[in-house]
Amino acid sequence: MDELSNVKFSWPPKFRKWTHSEKNNFKLGMIFLLPWTIGFAIFTAYPMIASFIYSFSIYHSKRPLEWVGLQNYATMLTDDLFWKALWNTIYMVGIGVPLTLFASFLCAVLLNLKVKGQAFYRVIYFLPSIVPTVAGTILWIWLLNPQSGLVNTTLASIGLDGPNWRADPDWAKPALMLLGLWGMGGTIMIYLSGLQDVPTHLIEAAELDGANWWQRLWNITIPMVSPITLFNLITGVIGMFQYFAQAYVFRGGGELGAPLNSTMFYSVYLYQNGFLFLKMGYASAMAWVLFVIILLCTLALLKVSDRFTYYAG
Amino acid sequence: MKKLFPLLSIVIILSMMLSACGAAASEQPKVLRVWIQWGDNPQQIQEMFDQYTKISGYKIEVTAPIDDDKVLPGLTGTEAPDILVLSGGDLVKSYYKEGLVDELGQVIKDGNIDMNDFYAGPLNACKQGDKILCLPWGFDLYALYWNKDLFEAAGLDPNKPPATMEELVEYADKLTKVSANGKLEQIGFIPDLSWDHSDLYASMFGGFWYNEDGTQLTVNSQPMIDAMTWQQQFYSKYGYENVLEFAGGFGEYNSPDHPFFSGKVAMMVDGEWIAGPNYIPTFKPELNYGVAAFPPPASNPERAGTAVAQGTVVVIPSGGKQKVEAAKLLAWMMSPDIVAAEFCRNANLPTSKKAAENPCFNVNEGFNTFVKLAAGSNIKALITTPISLEINDAFGTASEEILHTGADVKSTLDKIQAEYEGKLK
Repeated sequence: MDELSNVKFSWPPKFRKWTHSEKNNFKLGMIFLLPWTIGFAIFTAYPMIASFIYSFSIYHSKRPLEWVGLQNYATMLTDDLFWKALWNTIYMVGIGVPLTLFASFLCAVLLNLKVKGQAFYRVIYFLPSIVPTVAGTILWIWLLNPQSGLVNTTLASIGLDGPNWRADPDWAKPALMLLGLWGMGGTIMIYLSGLQDVPTHLIEAAELDGANWWQRLWNITIPMVSPITLFNLITGVIGMFQYFAQAYVFRGGGELGAPLNSTMFYSVYLYQNGFLFLKMGYASAMAWVLFVIILLCTLALLKVSDRFTYYAG
Repeated sequence: MKKLFPLLSIVIILSMMLSACGAAASEQPKVLRVWIQWGDNPQQIQEMFDQYTKISGYKIEVTAPIDDDKVLPGLTGTEAPDILVLSGGDLVKSYYKEGLVDELGQVIKDGNIDMNDFYAGPLNACKQGDKILCLPWGFDLYALYWNKDLFEAAGLDPNKPPATMEELVEYADKLTKVSANGKLEQIGFIPDLSWDHSDLYASMFGGFWYNEDGTQLTVNSQPMIDAMTWQQQFYSKYGYENVLEFAGGFGEYNSPDHPFFSGKVAMMVDGEWIAGPNYIPTFKPELNYGVAAFPPPASNPERAGTAVAQGTVVVIPSGGKQKVEAAKLLAWMMSPDIVAAEFCRNANLPTSKKAAENPCFNVNEGFNTFVKLAAGSNIKALITTPISLEINDAFGTASEEILHTGADVKSTLDKIQAEYEGKLK
């Protein structure tokens, strides 16, 4: 307080004159920042600002924009397919993301067990995540063939009649979730690194107190990896809201969103409007709505994360 | 002087670089860029365009196949191709409306392109009023394929395809086999095998989802209702889920496991390329099959030989910088010899009548059926509008609802009509 009271404020503020080396450092810093700043301005800031302006217009690439105010946003309210696409996406976010988190955590716990061939198992589980999305999706199209695919023949061997995964609107999204589970190696690895940071002294203390495996997992491991869960949850939610490539390939040669628009996800519908129907203004408005939805979801998750996230130290 | 030296050095280096660029530019050959949306063998296509280099001195840079996603940025950007070949005409009117492609009236005049040499069906698809927005290069027709061995096994005359749409339904029943547990083992006919063919069926019933000039939506008109109802019966009769499950197990289109090649489907609607060298002769040379024009309804025998022409079209992007040269190249592309060379290789139909006389199209009996069909008077243009893709997409979903879930035909089509008729105006 005493130190602060000795500071004399003046207006306009008087800045100390920079020394020659300080000036040079500043210039050097700016030069180092320049490539990123230029890249950001051209490839991120400009498209974002442009799409915001387009969202209030009917976009023509060779003619001036037609200003339509909020019409694009209002159209969304009455566009059935927009709501269908939003619902499909929320379905994937609501079920697909938690399912992937749960399965990834379970696999990570198993892969963290000190068993013979641990490294081999880890590689096996990680491998699918480095398979290119298109190749992986085509592979699953074969696996999910209702008559000759591996999934249904396996189900048939235990007496279950497998569904018509790709043609049945009720099963198309679960089929995509299955495909997502196959490629969850990245999430498993993040969990695995988190599990290795769980202090062993806590586990040992709990063991000495007579805690069983489940009690140690529930009371120590899960809270200790909760920041990892939050990270995976937020990145998973953001990724799922932008779900595109798998759905695009999964339809085979069929209509976008087939069967019966059950795989018409938000990003797919946005792409269809912008690049096929040439409704770039509407697509821009959709992109901004998606931006706001993702932003709100992320903020909400961060807000409620206080209740389930434990930061040691 | 100390400060002047670096400045002078920079000026000298820059001027040397610029003069080098200038020299390089003046030595570069004249180039025209052609983008093609399809192209299984880009090298062959490039070799064909190299012939043009010999006669014109222009180097032709062919990009084939160009990704669908790159077409729009290419047309709107500053480096538009000089010629764009699209795999279908669906988007041409949208592109024209947005000012992305040129009207070709002057190009046709300057290039002395013989418009009488085009088959009317594919050419009409390029017209908007009195404007010509594209030129058809090659085209497809769809007809009925039938498996003669399966016909014989079902007690049908293997050389006699159904003569009417009603007879086709009877034949399909006889050619369908259901196992003791109710599962399909073989099916006579699936109306939307591989993709939707409602354009053909609607034409057979005397209509389409637009009126003749594409100014009105007629998706809930009687011919459309008849066409969808006719198709629906092939699903409703054996159970929607049953047929879908059976169809879900079909093999890949480009493989010997194609359901028609493997004998799972006895009759199908498909295009001329299937009879061409790259499909049946490659994947199932021993297949005993026949091809005939799709039969008309019994009440309208005059519609025999009806088919809907659709296929490759060529446009000149408005952003292209060498319009005169592009026009000359387009005229060369439309010459009968070039059309024949390109479409014999692809086993598609030529849009040029003179090209169709080229012996290279005498591939086999099946393919010849299509060549004869192309010359008939009942070939319709695929009607397109500036919002074709949007309406096609909505109709595609409606068609799925009707055929695959048993949705009511009339009310489903009424919904599309109500939603889109205003947008077309």
